[in-house]
Amino acid sequence: MREPPQLINRYKWYEILGIYAGIAVFLTFVLAPFVEGFLVSLKPLSQLFSSPYRFIPENGSFEAYYTMWDHVPGFARYIVNSFVISGAATVIVLILVVPAAYAFARFEFRGAGLLLGAFLAVNMFSGAVLLIPLFRLMRSLGVLNTYFAMIVPGVAFLIPSAIWLLRTYMMRIPRELDEAAFVDGASHFYTLRRVILPIAKPGIVVVAITTFIGAYAQQFIYALTFNSKTEYAPLPVGLFAYFGRQEVVWNELMAAAFVGIAPAMIVIFFLQRYLVSGLTAGAVKQ
Amino acid sequence: MGQLYLNKVQKFYGDFEVIKGVQLDVKDGEFIVFVGPSGCGKSTLLRMIAGLDATSGGDIVIDGIRVNDLPPVKRGIAMVFQSYALYPHMSVFENIAFPLRVEKMAEDKIKAKVEHAARILHLEQRLEQKPGMLSGGQRQRVAIGRAIVREPKIFLFDEPLSNLDAALRADMRIELAKLHRQLKATMIYVTHDQVEAMTMADRIVVLNGGHIAQCGAPLELYHKPANLFVAGFIGNPKMNMLPVTCKGTSAEGVLIDYQGQTATLPVDGTRAKAGETLTLGIRPEHLLLDTGDLNVTVVPTVIERLGAQTVAYASLDGKAENFCAMLPGTIGIRPEQPLPLGIKAADCHLFDADGQAFERRVSLTDIDLNLLGTTAA
Repeated sequence: MREPPQLINRYKWYEILGIYAGIAVFLTFVLAPFVEGFLVSLKPLSQLFSSPYRFIPENGSFEAYYTMWDHVPGFARYIVNSFVISGAATVIVLILVVPAAYAFARFEFRGAGLLLGAFLAVNMFSGAVLLIPLFRLMRSLGVLNTYFAMIVPGVAFLIPSAIWLLRTYMMRIPRELDEAAFVDGASHFYTLRRVILPIAKPGIVVVAITTFIGAYAQQFIYALTFNSKTEYAPLPVGLFAYFGRQEVVWNELMAAAFVGIAPAMIVIFFLQRYLVSGLTAGAVKQ
Repeated sequence: MGQLYLNKVQKFYGDFEVIKGVQLDVKDGEFIVFVGPSGCGKSTLLRMIAGLDATSGGDIVIDGIRVNDLPPVKRGIAMVFQSYALYPHMSVFENIAFPLRVEKMAEDKIKAKVEHAARILHLEQRLEQKPGMLSGGQRQRVAIGRAIVREPKIFLFDEPLSNLDAALRADMRIELAKLHRQLKATMIYVTHDQVEAMTMADRIVVLNGGHIAQCGAPLELYHKPANLFVAGFIGNPKMNMLPVTCKGTSAEGVLIDYQGQTATLPVDGTRAKAGETLTLGIRPEHLLLDTGDLNVTVVPTVIERLGAQTVAYASLDGKAENFCAMLPGTIGIRPEQPLPLGIKAADCHLFDADGQAFERRVSLTDIDLNLLGTTAA
């Protein structure tokens, strides 16, 4: 038998109606572009400009998903580039942020509050505002048109939010664990490695996911400005290849967009499952 | 060896003096309990001995070596925390082995030591489990196990039983006392629970506002509290206090006057002057149902029947302060009905205007044979 919901979760029929109507409005705005994009990818190009416009494709096929590879031969490379850039950025951010967040969470040092405030302030600028000075910097360093030029600014702008996230998580770990390790003779690094890291694993996964997504979303702007070599271009820039001289190959462009997102989605899907199990299994007992 | 000497130890937080020149000598193998109300500095003092908090002044000396500037691990101490501080991701075995792994001890030696500790603490069946699967008492034992394997000179316990329920606390108290006898190590134990202090300690150190109010064997503190603070803190329910006037002193003691009744209390009254206002202390359990050397009549407002005893709370002369009497369990008394009580002069404590006690003429060796050896402090 189905259990009746808890008293606080019981709603009148019109309340339920209102809730679902609200959800529907927002879901429409979020999902409609995806649905439309997917439908476009199924249509033959000729049908796209027919009038009256029809949303449901007639004799739709997945043909665009095959032809896109021929039309832009470097497309696989773009996906790999995207992964290399975002993956490298994530790894570098984690290496830098884990000890930094531990220091901010545990040690009292002069300027800690000021530094954290500065990180927050940096977060308010997007990298885009600083593109011109960054470009000049990259040019004088002679690193334009390299992976480096796309990874390093991304890392720089992802570090602040990662530190804030992980610091908050680490502050929830009882200080007595550090003290117990200290009494037993452990150094700060030993404590970090054997005690804090394993307990903070779910928090680190959260940071890894947000950093990866952030890097994935952010790379477009750096790639566009700091890189003009096609073979280094990441996915969002690579999509421009479907903008031909005469016409835009919309159906293939949409297909490419979905194919390009897919690997990232899969990675995040697995990380997220791990994250949930990590949160429930390794809960810190006070 | 585990000898500890605190010489005028001080601790400042900014300008605020938390520990005010504590002087204490702990002998090897002693079980010392720090008690006091919250904020009295007992945990701070323990953390200073452990090396977790810096010492602002004075010396902490362990086995003749000044350890103020040594990290905890070099002081030869081990600490058990209130929240146990077990590592949730490690098995019980790894938790206990942690200090040995830090030392980079050989694997077979670690195994032998952990198993030895587990045997002492009855944890053999639990070694592969994670702390999350253990009960509160078992977690506490794992935390103690982690302290045992280091073979420290001094064990430090920071309110280790306060997270356990009452029944388990009583069991763990007995186990800790056994453990102390078995290991013969020096133990310093912080608690705010006077039952723990009274039952386990060789000596109790009562802390109040950052200094030692009194240091002595449990029954010494009970029978000869040195001041009003200790008198009120040790003993449950609290000692009753009555204002009295000094009428003079004699070889037998101090002659006092309480609302027209006079009695001679057998205390050392060389400091007392006639006409002074003093405070008479009488424990609730020493009140008599028949007439004594002094007699008071109280009107109980609340009566608690505990089975073995009956506790009557009354206000005296319409004052807010509760006057408390602990009487036999089967006594027939009712709220709002006057209750005449007697006080024996020999049971009374007497304090001067500054709250310092006049020493009672009680021979402690009559009360506790153990004290024959340890009263020196």
